[in-house]
Amino acid sequence: MIKYILRRILLVIPVMLGVSFLVFTMIHFTPGDPVITILGETASQESIDQLREELGLNDPFLVQYFNYVRNIVVDQDMGRSYVTNRPVANEIIAKFPNTLRLALLGVLVSVSIGVPLGILSAVKQYTWIDNVAMFFALIGVSMPIFWQGILLILLFSVVLGVLPSSGFNTVQQMILPALTLGTGSAAIVARMTRSSMLEVYRQDYIRTARSKGLREFMVVTRHALRNTLIPVVTIIGLQFGFLLGGAIVTETIFSIPGVGRLMVDAIRQRDMLVVQGGVLFIAFTFSIVNLGVDVLYGFIDPKIRAQYK
Amino acid sequence: MKKKSAILISLILIFGLLVAGCAPSTPDPGRDSIVVAMGGNPVTLDPHGSNDQASSRVHRQIYETLIYQTEELELVPALAESWTQVDELTFEFKLKAGVKFHNGETLTANDVKFTLERALASAFIGHIVGPIDAASITVVDDLTIRFSTTQPFAPMLTHLAHPAMAILNEKAVTEGGEDYGTNPVGTGPFKFVSWDFDEKVTLERFDDFHGTKALLREVVFRIIPDNTVRTVQLETGEADIIYDIQPTDVSRVDAAPNLTLVRDANLSVTYIGFNVDKAPFNDVRVRQAINLAVDMEAVVNAVYAGVGSPAKGPLGPNVFGANMDLEGWDRDLDTARALLAEAGFADGFTTTLWTNDNLQRVQIAEIVQNQLADVGITVEIVEVEWTKYLADTAAGLHDMFILGWTTVTADADYGLYALFHSSAVGTPGNRTFYRNARVDELLDLGRTTTDQAARLAAYREAQEIIRNEAPWVFTWNGENISGTQSNVTGFKQHPAGHHNLAGVSFAP
Amino acid sequence: MSVYTEKRQSLWLDAWRRLRKNKAAVVGLIILVMLVIVAIFADVIAPFDFTTQNLNAVLQKPNSTHWFGTDNFGRDIFSRVVYGSRISLRIGFIAVGIALIVGGSMGAIAGYFGGWFDTIVMRLVDIMLAVPTILLAISIVSVLGPGITNLMIAVGVSNVPTYARVVRASVLSIKETQYIEAARAMGSRDFTIIFKHVIPNTLAPVIVQSTIGVAGAILSAAGLGFIGLGIQPPNPEWGSMLNAGRHFIRDHPHLTTYPGLAIMVTILSLNLLGDGLRDVLDPKLQD
Repeated sequence: MIKYILRRILLVIPVMLGVSFLVFTMIHFTPGDPVITILGETASQESIDQLREELGLNDPFLVQYFNYVRNIVVDQDMGRSYVTNRPVANEIIAKFPNTLRLALLGVLVSVSIGVPLGILSAVKQYTWIDNVAMFFALIGVSMPIFWQGILLILLFSVVLGVLPSSGFNTVQQMILPALTLGTGSAAIVARMTRSSMLEVYRQDYIRTARSKGLREFMVVTRHALRNTLIPVVTIIGLQFGFLLGGAIVTETIFSIPGVGRLMVDAIRQRDMLVVQGGVLFIAFTFSIVNLGVDVLYGFIDPKIRAQYK
Repeated sequence: MKKKSAILISLILIFGLLVAGCAPSTPDPGRDSIVVAMGGNPVTLDPHGSNDQASSRVHRQIYETLIYQTEELELVPALAESWTQVDELTFEFKLKAGVKFHNGETLTANDVKFTLERALASAFIGHIVGPIDAASITVVDDLTIRFSTTQPFAPMLTHLAHPAMAILNEKAVTEGGEDYGTNPVGTGPFKFVSWDFDEKVTLERFDDFHGTKALLREVVFRIIPDNTVRTVQLETGEADIIYDIQPTDVSRVDAAPNLTLVRDANLSVTYIGFNVDKAPFNDVRVRQAINLAVDMEAVVNAVYAGVGSPAKGPLGPNVFGANMDLEGWDRDLDTARALLAEAGFADGFTTTLWTNDNLQRVQIAEIVQNQLADVGITVEIVEVEWTKYLADTAAGLHDMFILGWTTVTADADYGLYALFHSSAVGTPGNRTFYRNARVDELLDLGRTTTDQAARLAAYREAQEIIRNEAPWVFTWNGENISGTQSNVTGFKQHPAGHHNLAGVSFAP
Repeated sequence: MSVYTEKRQSLWLDAWRRLRKNKAAVVGLIILVMLVIVAIFADVIAPFDFTTQNLNAVLQKPNSTHWFGTDNFGRDIFSRVVYGSRISLRIGFIAVGIALIVGGSMGAIAGYFGGWFDTIVMRLVDIMLAVPTILLAISIVSVLGPGITNLMIAVGVSNVPTYARVVRASVLSIKETQYIEAARAMGSRDFTIIFKHVIPNTLAPVIVQSTIGVAGAILSAAGLGFIGLGIQPPNPEWGSMLNAGRHFIRDHPHLTTYPGLAIMVTILSLNLLGDGLRDVLDPKLQD
């Protein structure tokens, strides 16, 4: 088990290198010039040359990439933003917790909507309740996030006046963003809960439990639900990446200082080092979450643990 | 089984902590703390590190310039008590005595020298300084500084009033090093407290301020990028002042009994530029025909919901030197068709119109596309990403493009030279590649002569030529539109957009 | 016709019979077919041209002439939504097509041959999967520039790793089955085996993934529209209509309601169908 985890952790390193090279190459060969963008509508050729030199953009592509990797590995320095001149690491450390929190709360919302609806529709398979439950679960995923976000703000902040429309410091401020982000994944969680529940339902021990005369509610909560966990945990792990992506739009609508917004701005300004730093951070978290999910299986299911060699 | 429950419970606990770990903060700002919401995100609070409006809006409160340009666009003493023009090239400034920086240092001529030299060396704002000769900057005594320009430069004083020309403290800049932009030190009415990137900047009243002290104890700038949400913030009371109300929300804020709408013409102009180096736009008749074929009144109504006004020339109405007697290009399809026929395009032609993803510009493009179809011109709208947009329009790869300009100094030189002088083609700002010897001569004259009447006359003629030769479709003059809670008093907009908040307070 | 093909056909027939019993899936299918019909006959159905502006009739509420009202240029929103179905469905299907062809063949070859090719492909997939799809799409649009074609490529390419994984997984499970070994024993070439035997047998999970993937692609395109990387105006893609109408959402909600509903209905129908197909094609869920 320990060996397996170590091997997985070691595998993260080449993935990180690959990610950073991919991003570096992509942005480097993207049309447009960070220097002209930073200097804006009026920029003399001297200023352009000067800034390009200051930022080290005159070096050949591979030299720039090599310097970048060396600075990270040797000096633990991720560089400074071309645009704001702030250290990339500080920027990410300041914003990453918000994005992470937003994504986790999104997971929480999608689980608390998705799991009950999934159970309901599995228990009442092929009845109108099944259809209605799945339909409700799907509404969240069918609405583009930004539209849903604005509608929620108009409803809860303007019409009802009960929740704030921006920020991410208080519990009240977190409700709307978490709802906006989480409902998108609720359908997927519901679907997964439903199908794995259906599968579990056909197992012998459920039949046994039923035949013992246990109430249906007890059968569901005591026996079926637990065994439904594994696929649900998987999908939550996968959804995490999706939620990090969805955070980009949610952060903009709700004025949350997060990594998603940071990244979009940086990509559009060709602020290479910030893009790099952000992508590496996200990719790292994502890899770790997936590793965590895999390890969690081992705890839940001994059969799977046996495969970790 | 137990293990599983333990995992479940710990998961729930983690979520609980996540939510609970964030204690409520900033519930009610109170009477001496104000929340100002704006859309843009400040880049740096080092005035020499960027030239963007969001940064200026914040650092304008922290710093002062030698000369202040009022909301009425008059130049008044600020850190400089008085100034004299020694000769055609040389200026001498007498600084106010006993001015304290936020770090306790006292302002001296050395700080001014340091600031000017640093500004001149900046890639970001070096062009705003004006043609000051770095070698000529002389500290005469503790409170007197003198410098010369390399050539006569009439708008020098307005440039010194530009927010980018804020006076810095040498010691603070040196100590701040690379991180000065997040530890700004000025002499202004508010001092910097903290900055949560992408979220808010907090400023606090500077009690040792040398002039009239700020009325509020605290100013919090909040970054609210979404326009609709920003208006919502004002309505719900989450913000006391919001900047840049989107046109579609103007009537809503105006009608709300507890809110005050503040709107004034600003110094910005939006234009559609032709690439005059390229056929068919190298033919003045084609450019005139297009000006005649479009209806800017429609643009103002459909795109800007009645905010602002159609532009008649290259300068907005409150810029010094703006020629208000220019005749607008009113829509006249027959004349437009006749001009096109004369130019050999009786059946029109096909061209492209570039825009970046700015929603208003995209919508202008859609209207122009529709209106030009009436004279047989088929326009393909090409949305280009901003970085590529700036680079490619500077390289002259475009046919027509949409861009805007703000004459921050409110002087015709700032609004015309970079955009129409033949020496400024490409990245410096002249993306139409318009070259006219007479216009060059007039713009040079306006820049170098200090005789105000002669300047006015030169700019008047230059604008007439530009209007007639039409390197632009003159599109739109903008407005600054802010909203406040009705109990906010003393809020006054600056035409250049960086509003001064020292006089703002809450009505008792 | 081989025994295996026959068996396969009866499997599909069986699946179809079961799908017909699933009411939600049938509703999804019917809506989707209707949407496709609307897209094909958009020029017949739409009463107005989607670009024609009428600046004297802007922001009209829905009425008998303009069923969905008009936008701030006086354009007929109903016509734009109808034409928009062409663009949005095209983006959805082509983007998934790209992802499926590129990712699917990568996954099939990697899964079938294994070895170093498999290792390289799967590491590449790991790298791409470590970056959120939408971020990848944003970067690709930044490289290529905005526009319908580039949008489809961006959304498509960013989904390649998902399909590579799905196809590889099911190829792996089929590879060792008896009939593939039989084909191999009979001397069929690898190429023939992959295309005649392996790929058709991986169709079930791929169809499910694609149906839901089309929905995801349409939403991704709308999201890119929100960030300002959408398609060229005045094309009435639903996402960009929603984005352009956003500013009017409070006084004139009909600018956003109808394109928003169009997206919702499309996504719903694709998901209902996808769920139904999953139930039907997943042998584990059959009674």
